Amino acid sequence: MTIDWWTLGLQTVNLLILIWILARYLFRPVARIIAERQAATHAALDEARAAREEAEAARATAKTETAEIARIRAELLSRAQEDAKHERAHLLETARAEAEKARAETRAELARLREAQKEMVAEEAGALAADIAGRLVGRLPDTVKIDGFMDGLVGAVSELPEATRTGIGAAGPVSLRAARALTGDERTVLETRLADLLGRTVTLEIEEAPELIAGLELDARHAIVRNHFRADLDRIKSELANHD
Amino acid sequence: MDSPLTLETLFNIGPVPISAPVVVSWVIILALGLFAWLATRRLSLTPSKTQTVLELLATTVDGQIRDTMNRDPAPFRALIGTIFLFVLVANWTSLIPAVEPPTAHLETDAALALVVFVATIAYGIANRGIKGYLATFAEPSWVMIPLNLVEQITRTFSLIVRLFGNVMSGVFVVGIVLSLAGLFVPIPLMALDLLTGAVQAYIFAVLATVFIGAAAGETSGDAPSEKENKPS
Repeated sequence: MTIDWWTLGLQTVNLLILIWILARYLFRPVARIIAERQAATHAALDEARAAREEAEAARATAKTETAEIARIRAELLSRAQEDAKHERAHLLETARAEAEKARAETRAELARLREAQKEMVAEEAGALAADIAGRLVGRLPDTVKIDGFMDGLVGAVSELPEATRTGIGAAGPVSLRAARALTGDERTVLETRLADLLGRTVTLEIEEAPELIAGLELDARHAIVRNHFRADLDRIKSELANHD
Repeated sequence: MDSPLTLETLFNIGPVPISAPVVVSWVIILALGLFAWLATRRLSLTPSKTQTVLELLATTVDGQIRDTMNRDPAPFRALIGTIFLFVLVANWTSLIPAVEPPTAHLETDAALALVVFVATIAYGIANRGIKGYLATFAEPSWVMIPLNLVEQITRTFSLIVRLFGNVMSGVFVVGIVLSLAGLFVPIPLMALDLLTGAVQAYIFAVLATVFIGAAAGETSGDAPSEKENKPS
């Protein structure tokens, strides 16, 4: 067995040349295109990843904004409910106050009407009483309208304070109102009794006043002494009104 | 039939005798070079069928190198890939009538083994330095230095003999059967030669990868993944 060294050397050179050729025209271009494709793929993946991250960020932002909107909505709803509650309470309070005011006004109006009605009734009662009294007195003799009241008038004058009593008739005639015109005797009797009581002469200036029904009314400058049915009826009416 | 251990000179170029394996190798180089040039003229990001096959070949070679060496395959891709392609095509030339595969002769296999041997030393020194490379002969102990030195020679010879024995025997058997039985009888054996040729090409390339990888040593970190590969 022999080795052909020329062939060995040529084959070695051939192999080295083939390595260079394939490296230059096969493996390097193919590896380059593979690397380029991988780079393109990685770029696309990076873009997709970036887009996904962007989408994630947008979704997170949208979620945050949605939560914020929900929070604001809940806050507005809560505030609106609170405002409505306050407004309702205010309206109720106002309505209650107005109702109370209207009720008070109605009550006052009713009281006023009742009072007016009472006064009217009292007036009517007084008028009726005066009418009744006038009719009843009209059935009695005329002397009754004066005689029965002289004592009361003199007694009332006697009960006046000394200073008031002193002034009666001191400056002139004393005004006297009577339910009818006094007769001469009656006038004399009354002047006499007053003179006895006051200690000086008294002249009466008599004025007829049928509205007194029966009785006398003496004007003593500083005091009026009433002793007649009209005064009694007025007093009774007043007492009735005060009693209510 | 001539002895496979003898070479017949076809012609001479000056003082250089040109034998048949050299001529067949030139044809193979021309064919592979022309094919590579034509196939890679219009590479695009959207690959054609041919480009897909070429990319599959490149990525397979890269994967094999990465798995074996645990390193970036780019510096070794051309050497390992060329060895694989050359041995494969050379083995399969036995299908062409009247053509004897170059790998059926010791000189071609020895040239292949010589290239691997030199590449082993070159990559070892390039990656470890001269001292570092020489220190590998003393691993795991200085006692192993003679054995490691012998191993460098024996494994190179084993590369030669394995490839030569398998291819030459296939050619020889087909020749004997053809001379004894007839025209179509050796066809199953020729189909078997196809498989044997592919397996031998793969074995030769993988062993070359292992030897070079062992000499170059492992990187400190993990091998870069495919997407980080750079064209060499």
